[in-house]
Amino acid sequence: MTNNNDKTRVTHTYRNKTDKRILKKNPWKDYGLHITVLVLVIIAMVIGPMEITLTKGVTVSIMPLLYTMVLGLACYLIKQIKWIGKKQSKVAEGAMMLFIGILIAKLAVSSGQSIHLIFEMGPALLLQELGHLATIFIALPVALILGFKREAIGMTNSIGREPEVAIVVDKYGFNSPESRGIFVLFIVGTIIGTVFISFFTSICVSLLPLHPYAFAMASGVGSASMNAASLGPTIAAFPALETSIEAFAGFSNLLSFSISLYIVIFVAIPLTEKLYGFLEPKIGRKAIVNDGGS
Amino acid sequence: MVELIDGSENVSVHGIFNWILLLTIFSVIVVIGNYIGYKHPIADSLIGMAILSLITLVGVWMERELPLNISSIIYISVIGIALAFPSMPTSDAIIHYVSQIELLSIVTVFLAYVGIGMGKSWGEFKAMGPRAIIITVLVIASTYLGSAVVAHVILTLTGVSV
Repeated sequence: MTNNNDKTRVTHTYRNKTDKRILKKNPWKDYGLHITVLVLVIIAMVIGPMEITLTKGVTVSIMPLLYTMVLGLACYLIKQIKWIGKKQSKVAEGAMMLFIGILIAKLAVSSGQSIHLIFEMGPALLLQELGHLATIFIALPVALILGFKREAIGMTNSIGREPEVAIVVDKYGFNSPESRGIFVLFIVGTIIGTVFISFFTSICVSLLPLHPYAFAMASGVGSASMNAASLGPTIAAFPALETSIEAFAGFSNLLSFSISLYIVIFVAIPLTEKLYGFLEPKIGRKAIVNDGGS
Repeated sequence: MVELIDGSENVSVHGIFNWILLLTIFSVIVVIGNYIGYKHPIADSLIGMAILSLITLVGVWMERELPLNISSIIYISVIGIALAFPSMPTSDAIIHYVSQIELLSIVTVFLAYVGIGMGKSWGEFKAMGPRAIIITVLVIASTYLGSAVVAHVILTLTGVSV
């Protein structure tokens, strides 16, 4: 029944989660869940996108995708809505792993349609994956100043979604401080990541004079929902380039889920270790956090 | 977190049936949203979603059936790119129907499920201190900006204009 267990453990976290939730239960029977989603989608689409001008020249666009997500979370948290509970939350999470496929398929069709772009801009696409390493140089020193110890290695080496969590747990062991660090990043990223990157992209797109394709490539940070949330404002800012932007996001995703994992294993984690060894004696604070909390 | 990484099961007919039903429900919601938000015709959108669902289904099935250690995301990407490749006989039809579906319609429905799914983690999230939030925000911002800046520099160096 269970095949090649050691290998599946590392990269197939998505699969296991989906299968456990989808193969055993009959998730389509959760009418309450799907009807709630339908109602949220209708509300979001009727309201449509909003633009808020922060200061002169800086507009933040709030897309319908944020409404549905925040309302979805609210449905779970509001006790009066009894038909959305822990069980529905689990079903939604399992179903979401399947629905990522639709998103990826849509981006892939745009990529195939614009395949010439990869030949013209291959170098930029490949090298921007290395740009992800910036997190080590920016977040690691701050983590040390804030008093984190070896947790910082897990917290700052990458974006910390499922594949990276599996890599860190595999390397350091489940109960290590490094794994504790990436669990914290995973949980906080799950809750605030999508909303944050959507606002952050809006601000970057209106403030920074970078190439539109650069924003498109950058949106493939290695998380399907963050990618989607980041694409929203990018497409809103450059509507004429929609297909190309989707194409780059598609290519970038493909890279993030293949080459990037090896970059994390062979470059990011060793680099984080090195930098930690170098910086910790200089700016690390005296073990304030042995308990891992604050 | 332990439950995230444990045993897997083989595909059963029952499983595929569940996937098809879930994808159908998802497709219907997306098509309704797509119609309200972007006024795309319902019939063409349904065909578009059927194509995307089929690609997903094949990718997810391949991940579980083939003895390779490759994520379904890779399979789905490769199938999608191949079907829409300009010289493929399928490309015109696929591009026509799939372009009826706005990316943002898919994302809006997808994130509704994400929102409900993240509810489970809310308790753990509340227990995290502000320092954890600062680091997370920095990690996401620098990952994003890092690759945006690198991409911009390379695009400028290789002389790509808009």
